[in-house]
Amino acid sequence: MSAENNTGDVLLSVDHISLAFGGVKALTDINFEIRKKEIFAIIGPNGAGKTSMLNVINGFYHPQDGEIHFKGLHRKQMRPHEAAVQGIARTFQNVALFKGMSTLNNIMAGRNLKMKANLFWQALYYGPARKEEMENRKFVEDIIDFLEIQAIRRTPVGKLPYGLQKRVELGRALAMEPELLLLDEPMAGMNIEEKQDMCRFILDINEQYGTTIVLIEHDMGVVMDLSERLIVLDYGRKIAEGNPDEIRGNQAVIDAYLGVAHTN
Amino acid sequence: MFYREAGQFKSSYVADQELFPVKQDRLGIFLIIGFSFIVIPLIANDYWLQAILIPFLIFSLAALGLNLLTGYAGQLSLGTGGFMAVGAYSCYKLVTVFPETNVILLILLSGFISAGVGLIFGIPSLRIKGFYLAVATLAAQFFFEWLFGRVKWFYNYNDSGAIEVQVRKVFDIAVTGPVATTQARYMVVLCIVTVLALIAVNIVRGRIGRAWMAIRDMDIAAELIGIRPLTTKLIAFAISSYYAGVAGALYVFTYLGSAEVEVFDINISFEILFMIIIGGLGSISGAFFGAAFIVLIPILITNLPLILGIPINTATVEHFNFMILGALIVLFLIFEPHGLAKIWSILREKLRVWPFPY
Repeated sequence: MSAENNTGDVLLSVDHISLAFGGVKALTDINFEIRKKEIFAIIGPNGAGKTSMLNVINGFYHPQDGEIHFKGLHRKQMRPHEAAVQGIARTFQNVALFKGMSTLNNIMAGRNLKMKANLFWQALYYGPARKEEMENRKFVEDIIDFLEIQAIRRTPVGKLPYGLQKRVELGRALAMEPELLLLDEPMAGMNIEEKQDMCRFILDINEQYGTTIVLIEHDMGVVMDLSERLIVLDYGRKIAEGNPDEIRGNQAVIDAYLGVAHTN
Repeated sequence: MFYREAGQFKSSYVADQELFPVKQDRLGIFLIIGFSFIVIPLIANDYWLQAILIPFLIFSLAALGLNLLTGYAGQLSLGTGGFMAVGAYSCYKLVTVFPETNVILLILLSGFISAGVGLIFGIPSLRIKGFYLAVATLAAQFFFEWLFGRVKWFYNYNDSGAIEVQVRKVFDIAVTGPVATTQARYMVVLCIVTVLALIAVNIVRGRIGRAWMAIRDMDIAAELIGIRPLTTKLIAFAISSYYAGVAGALYVFTYLGSAEVEVFDINISFEILFMIIIGGLGSISGAFFGAAFIVLIPILITNLPLILGIPINTATVEHFNFMILGALIVLFLIFEPHGLAKIWSILREKLRVWPFPY
């Protein structure tokens, strides 16, 4: 799929979202729409509210104002695991893996929602429990192949280098077969080769699985190359929206990044 | 040299996900099980069975239960003694109400009552974590100690205030009460512990076990991949209390014979917590290692002067017992915080590459 033919339906729409922690306004009146199968980026200087925006989308924060529609349905206040049930997966800025578990188990944990066998069969590790374990193992092995992490399958993730941990975390999110994948700085702290790998994975995920991706990233080269549309946040407000070329020439964005005195 | 998995290829996920993928491990575990089922009842004398093996197995079971909760699901609990008491007293009441029913069945059933109680005391775990949760579970410990000590109905209005186990037969063999042979009691305990240990292994390597470890390692991320924190923690509390309850019932019915509620005091909760810390948190074998350590070391220390023929009075030995055990626990925490199970796995790694460790 190329970048041109993604005028798909709206997958997620954010209407007039405002979020405040006491007197601190994290987000003010944010509007945007994410279309199916696109790579959508959120950028902005530090503290602009990008991560807060992701936390609102996957139900971790509850905005004081505004509405979110996901797949055309209005979303009530929800808990994160309900967002997971609806098909929203997420990686974190600072890796949030299950450190005591192996790579395989981490990704298998991502299949949690797809597994239904009851306690009785699990206690016996037989019948439905064993069958579903094997089916999901096969699915997980496909992800392991896709992300090229076969060699670290049995390694506890706490012992892995940072770049690989990020990859395992991506694998765990993929294991959920999400419709919407939220990536919070997937390339922070990586060297150029690791970044290239990660970019390749993101594009492949988008293309092979048709997953809609929301990307937060500080590396402008990466953002401009990967994303089809992006919004720019600054001090909790949306200051620009458009395709990479439009954003590049936008005076408000340049001001935000270069630091012009704010007038509001 | 003897312990190599080279050449043992797996061609299916079924084979790869087996309980003991390495052939030598499989052989070893079969040997241990066979030995404890066949050889031990034949050769061991009453002292060994009664003073060492039966308590070892019962404490292993209780430690296993606590390890599921604390080691796997990451919920610190000091209520083990209380849950054991619930198991013991409900088993006693069940035996009173259904005198004809198979007592092994009743022991297993009383675990469910304990599980229900554990479920209730697990509810605060959604809000509080770590040491604060430990204090909340301490409430269970003190509440049940009080309840079973004060409410006479629980001990059938006995004058002594103790629960006494009557003779109950399974297939015409007395398994509880004063006339039951130690062999019979040992076999009952061994069967139950083996089956429950196997179930524990199966649970922790499946979906529920992964959910537990996910909650333990990073609860926020666990919630974001669709694991419900409350349900997962409550399942952990219920299953853990089931194990504790069965262990408590076995403790009274097959080991002590008669008991007052004081046997389930706070010390037993701490002892079991020490077992899993020394044995290894988050490891099934660790529960057994830890129980062996805590049960066997005092016996060893007590008997060592006798064996060596050193004239020393028993009171002094008793003091040494506390000091040496305490010192060992401290040393363990310093040198191997992951416990005996970790030492075992390091040894196994070393053995795997021996004699060419490069």
